[in-house]
Amino acid sequence: MKKKIIIFVLISAMLISGTANITLAADETNSLRIGVTQEIDSLSPFLSWSITGDETFMLIYDPLVRVDENMAPVPSLAESWSKSSDNLTWTFVLDENAKWHDGKNVTAEDVKYTYEYIISSGLGMYAGGLEGISSIEAADEKTVVIKTNEPKANMLLSNAPILPKHILETLTMEDLETWSNDSPVGSGPFKFEELNLGGFLKLVKNEDYFKGSPGLDEIIFVLYANDDVMTQALKIGEIDAVVNFSASQLEELKGVPEIEAISAVAQGFTELSFNCSEDSSSKGNKLLLDKNIRQAVEWAIDKQNILDVVYYGQGKTGTSLVPLGDYYHYEPKDELRSFNIEKANELLEKAGYKDTDNDGIREDEKGNKLSFVFTLRSETPEEIKAGQMIAANVEKAGIELKIETVDDGVLIDKIYSQDFDMFIWGWGTALDPTVILNVMSTREIGNLSDCNYSNEEYDRLLLEQQTIMDDSQRRETVYQMQKILYDDAPYIILFYDNNLQAVRTDKFEGWKRVPEDGSYFYNLTYTNYVNVKPKAQTEGTVPEGTQNQGESGSSNTALIVGAVVLLVAGAAVLMMRKKKNTEEDDD
Amino acid sequence: MNKQYVLKKIIYSLITIFAVLVFNYFLFRIMPGNPLQILMRNPNASAEAIEKTREMFGLDKPSYIQFFIYIKSLFQGDLGTSFLYKGQPVAQVIGNRILPTLLMIGAAEILAIIVGIFIGVISAWKRGTKIDIVSLSFSLISYAMPTFWIGIVFVTIFSVNLRIFPTSGMMTPGLSYADVIEKSSDVIKHMALPVLTMSLLLIGQYALVMRSTLVDVLTEDYITTAYAKGFKDDYVIKKHAVPNAMLPMITIIAINLGLVIAGAIQIETIFSWPGIGRLMYDAIKSRDYPLLQGIFLLITISVIVANLLADLTYGYLDPRVKSRS
Repeated sequence: MKKKIIIFVLISAMLISGTANITLAADETNSLRIGVTQEIDSLSPFLSWSITGDETFMLIYDPLVRVDENMAPVPSLAESWSKSSDNLTWTFVLDENAKWHDGKNVTAEDVKYTYEYIISSGLGMYAGGLEGISSIEAADEKTVVIKTNEPKANMLLSNAPILPKHILETLTMEDLETWSNDSPVGSGPFKFEELNLGGFLKLVKNEDYFKGSPGLDEIIFVLYANDDVMTQALKIGEIDAVVNFSASQLEELKGVPEIEAISAVAQGFTELSFNCSEDSSSKGNKLLLDKNIRQAVEWAIDKQNILDVVYYGQGKTGTSLVPLGDYYHYEPKDELRSFNIEKANELLEKAGYKDTDNDGIREDEKGNKLSFVFTLRSETPEEIKAGQMIAANVEKAGIELKIETVDDGVLIDKIYSQDFDMFIWGWGTALDPTVILNVMSTREIGNLSDCNYSNEEYDRLLLEQQTIMDDSQRRETVYQMQKILYDDAPYIILFYDNNLQAVRTDKFEGWKRVPEDGSYFYNLTYTNYVNVKPKAQTEGTVPEGTQNQGESGSSNTALIVGAVVLLVAGAAVLMMRKKKNTEEDDD
Repeated sequence: MNKQYVLKKIIYSLITIFAVLVFNYFLFRIMPGNPLQILMRNPNASAEAIEKTREMFGLDKPSYIQFFIYIKSLFQGDLGTSFLYKGQPVAQVIGNRILPTLLMIGAAEILAIIVGIFIGVISAWKRGTKIDIVSLSFSLISYAMPTFWIGIVFVTIFSVNLRIFPTSGMMTPGLSYADVIEKSSDVIKHMALPVLTMSLLLIGQYALVMRSTLVDVLTEDYITTAYAKGFKDDYVIKKHAVPNAMLPMITIIAINLGLVIAGAIQIETIFSWPGIGRLMYDAIKSRDYPLLQGIFLLITISVIVANLLADLTYGYLDPRVKSRS
């Protein structure tokens, strides 16, 4: 009996110590492991609707034109392009050396096929950017001619990935709806290797990339369901970079010398949206149709304080629809409404809202109280906190906000049945201002519009700006649109959001923020993915991270073995006792 | 055990499964929100794109027609296509998550059952002594411990400070393995913390139930009789008391085993374990009806099968159950 136990202990000890040792074997390939909190929803550019999808397609595929670090169009698959004098015909000449990952040449037919599939199927997030294209022709092997009915100002801003014709032609339009594209073949700097749903996405470098092989052998996006654990994993070197962690972790990460943690301007904002529907079926409070009240709410909100308290100061207070730092951003001057409770009270007083019954809440002439339902999203604790602070702010102006908290699905239903007064939510914006400006247009009521705002002049300018080919002229029109919105205040832009990202600088070098105050990843360019390199090691010194791992590896083994021995010994004692009992019993 | 009894139980189970199937179908659809909501917050989505996607998901058809399509394809073994993981069949999406779930929660359950029963027995046997007080307090504390907190504490101790186990995931991402042994040892290392956390939470429950039933049983007359016959303490416990105290345990174990497949959302979230629990949460958030229906069908079947097994085991363990039927 005892012998058996001893053998068992020895075998388990051997097994476990073996386990502890193998995993940290030195790896020759350098892989950049990026911790993310959002998973790709589909590998098919026709089906994906996520920003994660967009970022991935940017690495596997090439668009015709990319943007550089200053957000200016630069050659990608197209090495050059020109437009006709009437701005209706575009000619793109493809790069001679561009090749698909399976070795075939990239031709004009590929571009024609991809664009036609996207446009005629109408599927996916890239369809919108190609709106207005009337025909695509392959003039020769490497020349694509694209025609539009009206001048298309955002032609060079489409980042629609180009897919190979030899794969697309095996699919019908109907097939596209269920085509999961399990092993994407692209032309980009990285090749698809493996997608482990719920786990990770692995890309490997394309050594034959026509713009030069990238510096990393592999990129692995590792999915974390909990961002606290994700930042811990970065600290101990399990991963090399993180995207989107909570602001409460920023200071802690900044304190680690091998980590560069940043809070960068993101393309997006958080807004307070009012129900501006004039439709008789709208269940929103009709008092909110008076822009004086909407403006008064903005006067009363102390945005900076909320930003400091709730978001640890990460982000900027908001003003107009196109985010700060964008070429098209309009900054209000004299008309700026920054926190001033007297102004709020003054404005409401002048507009005839007085507190006649002295309960602290103003009423209109008919006695309707300035009391509104304020809907907040249970998904984001930050927005709930911000909402509570806003309610406390506007109370001082004699406006009562009754907070209700619901999940996204419920809020969506409320928005589409126009059954709300006001709520907080956010938008992500794009390089082309049309995308976010469109949300406020009349035609989007019942679709994207979540405030039911309608203004004829605004709608007219929206169509006009799309056709202005001169950037600075176009900007004037976009400014004018933002001025209209700021004055009408269907939205209060609360904050311009920040992206929180961190990278390890002890293992990789060449990190660059794009644009200047921007982020490492999710910045519309692939700069860091292709330029970052493993850090050159001076001979003889072992990088700190590795050393730690080695040490812990051995103490690790001892600990596990100890635990197992204890466990087994305990079990053995128990078994022997039992054995004794049964023996006695048999007597 | 007669055949009729078993057959009757099986038929009841099938009826229950179908009833749950129908109930779930309509339950998900009366939830506010809809699967298109993700598109509705994407400024790139045009009205046409949303309409197109509605058709693609089959949501343009009346609800009862969708229901018949669902039932029909279900009998053909087709669970539909996920809305969340676009283009992926539901069976495949769920299939990827079954093994990790069974592995982690199964291991935790087995560990918890063994240790829990052991602690419960010791506690009841030595009731009133210091051993009882210690193990009882341990059980109560572990039963009452907040999952999320204990998970984070374990990560901090074992991953960040001691660096014995990896923080999360099921495998070292992107690693290519030389052989199966290397792969399984990697998985075992990743499994350690979630299994430990999960079983710690279950042990208390098992130990408490085991203790209270055993304490009851120990006051029965036949136990006194056994002592009178001159049997030793531990023999009486093992042969006379424990088997009689196992009935309530079987119920709890059966219910818990049925739910093993449902995963454990909190544990899976802390340790980023690719299990069914997290999948279900994601599916609810994005109103992925086909995926939700698939997961609930799977859970329903496993709970009902586990209960069926418990029923049958009852008949075996306790002859009174069999004769009553």
